[in-house]
Amino acid sequence: MPLVKKPTLPAPEPVPDDSFPDDWDLPARLAAPAASVRRAAVRALAETGGGDAARTLCGRLAVETDGPVREAIFLALAAIGGDEVAAGLLALLRHEDPALRNGAIETLQQLPQPVAPRMEALLADPDSDVRIFAVNVAGNLRHPDVERWMLSVLRGDRHANVVAAAIDTLAEVGTEAACADLEQVAQHFPGDAFLAFAQRTALRRIRGG
Amino acid sequence: MKRVLVVDDAATVRLYYRDVLEAAGFAVEEAVNGLEGLEKALADAFDLFLVDVNMPKMDGYRFLSTVRREPALRAVPAIMISTEAKDSDATRAYAAGANLYMVKPVQPDALVRTVALMTGGPVS
Amino acid sequence: MPGPQTMPQPQGIAISDEDFARFQEFFYRKTGISFDAKKRYFVDKRLVDRVEALKLRDFREYFTHLRFQVSGEEVQTLINAMTVNETYFYREEYQFRCLVQSILPELVRRKAAGERLRIWSIPCSTGEEPYSLALYLLEHWEHVDRFDIEIVASDIDTKVLEAARQGRYGERALQYLPQATRRRFFTRVAEDAYQIIDDLRSSIEFTTVNLNDPLQTRRHRDFDVVFCRNLLIYFDDLSRRQAADTIFDALQPGGFCCLGHSESMSRISPLFRVRRFPDAIVYQKPDRGEEP
Repeated sequence: MPLVKKPTLPAPEPVPDDSFPDDWDLPARLAAPAASVRRAAVRALAETGGGDAARTLCGRLAVETDGPVREAIFLALAAIGGDEVAAGLLALLRHEDPALRNGAIETLQQLPQPVAPRMEALLADPDSDVRIFAVNVAGNLRHPDVERWMLSVLRGDRHANVVAAAIDTLAEVGTEAACADLEQVAQHFPGDAFLAFAQRTALRRIRGG
Repeated sequence: MKRVLVVDDAATVRLYYRDVLEAAGFAVEEAVNGLEGLEKALADAFDLFLVDVNMPKMDGYRFLSTVRREPALRAVPAIMISTEAKDSDATRAYAAGANLYMVKPVQPDALVRTVALMTGGPVS
Repeated sequence: MPGPQTMPQPQGIAISDEDFARFQEFFYRKTGISFDAKKRYFVDKRLVDRVEALKLRDFREYFTHLRFQVSGEEVQTLINAMTVNETYFYREEYQFRCLVQSILPELVRRKAAGERLRIWSIPCSTGEEPYSLALYLLEHWEHVDRFDIEIVASDIDTKVLEAARQGRYGERALQYLPQATRRRFFTRVAEDAYQIIDDLRSSIEFTTVNLNDPLQTRRHRDFDVVFCRNLLIYFDDLSRRQAADTIFDALQPGGFCCLGHSESMSRISPLFRVRRFPDAIVYQKPDRGEEP
């Protein structure tokens, strides 16, 4: 039955279309016209690891428009980890491209150790959008201080959408310790039906047990 | 019953829209990001999309522009609801294919009124 | 010393509606799976099993562990406990139907007769999936003679691969195959043991591959279709993204990926285009120059 064939010869080692001369340095390859070349350059750079690679990759990310190359960079940064990566990705929270911002948020969520020391400063940023994104990062972060950070938002922030994001996180991670601050929310935002709803929901989740 | 697809990564927001819209007679489905929204939109017919901007995997602008390229979906009205309030954001929403742009937090009567307007009311 | 009559009764662990709602939202965010009210008993039981297995005091303690454990391992363990993972021939048959009715017609439009069609089944486990692909194509695809079809089947576990090469299965694995298909492609070799005919056994290439290891996946390239069903859901968030990235590289531009019935790229990766066909939702690598 010749219908389903196994290759009778071993498949030739495929020549990757990302091969290039050795003397063409990685940063230049990162800016090559072909996306596949850029993706391969990202991988090669990731293998070198360290702060230099992190900085170079973050720099490229800010100007890279191809989806698969961006994804390769995010994955490379997640694998490298550490302080430089966290700093570089946090800077992207101010970028005007939502896909880039959200990719940064998702990747930061994988890096609780280097992100944690920076959280308080982010939650005090003058830009309310940055504060919202910081809360979004915390929302999926595996770190014991998440509740404490969210409570600091409830106590100090008067921007409705930042508080809303914090309450959403508290609905999931809040404990009895959050109740007092949650109960105050509606007073700070009188007439806001959504925040009242969010407050009620979070309190119910915490207390209804 | 008119069917609304809520696309937002915040569980509390989805719960709120569901609460308000179901009480007003609409059927509500949820998606946590633009990609799930797209899958649900392709699988079932909806009368309206309520779309957040910032979501993982696929943001709201990308959801809208993809929807507008799909023959089966391009005529479904869409309201983009965002935390961002700058004029440039509204322009961007319309350019991506939104019919209307609203800023969070949205109050219940404004939500119901707008959804009713865009779908022709809860009952077919 | 306490006698038998003072042995403490095991505490029943109760999960309140609010705790369940909190868990639901978390689980839905992570996996895309929601449970309707009918499943509550089943889900509660699995959760209580996990609380007890970890010797935790109550569900809240467990949920905190689930949410904050740095390795994220418990999430994977829980997903395992929540999903039924049995393999048999023609499992999730609607995707094979989709392959023949929708995916292949699109793919062959760009191929000359005699050109190769490459399909990757990973994980192939004990072989039911790659053999099912072969059987289904032979039984249902009108153009099966016009193209060279190459099926590569991979798994991380060498024991299951060996079993797959043997191609022996019991009644249970074959129960959804039509009788005619069984007669055509299997011979009975023992009580409750049927073996795939030699021609088919020798036409599938079995390889050992760890999807998380780029060195191992490098040589798996240029596939038109990848079946990666009921694997990624068991990976943590980052490993899933990486695996999807690997599948992306393994596919030809315009190639397709099928996931398991309760899996979605919405919880995995932004790289693929969603394609809705009558029988299934599948994912496509954009063609050269196309946006996803």
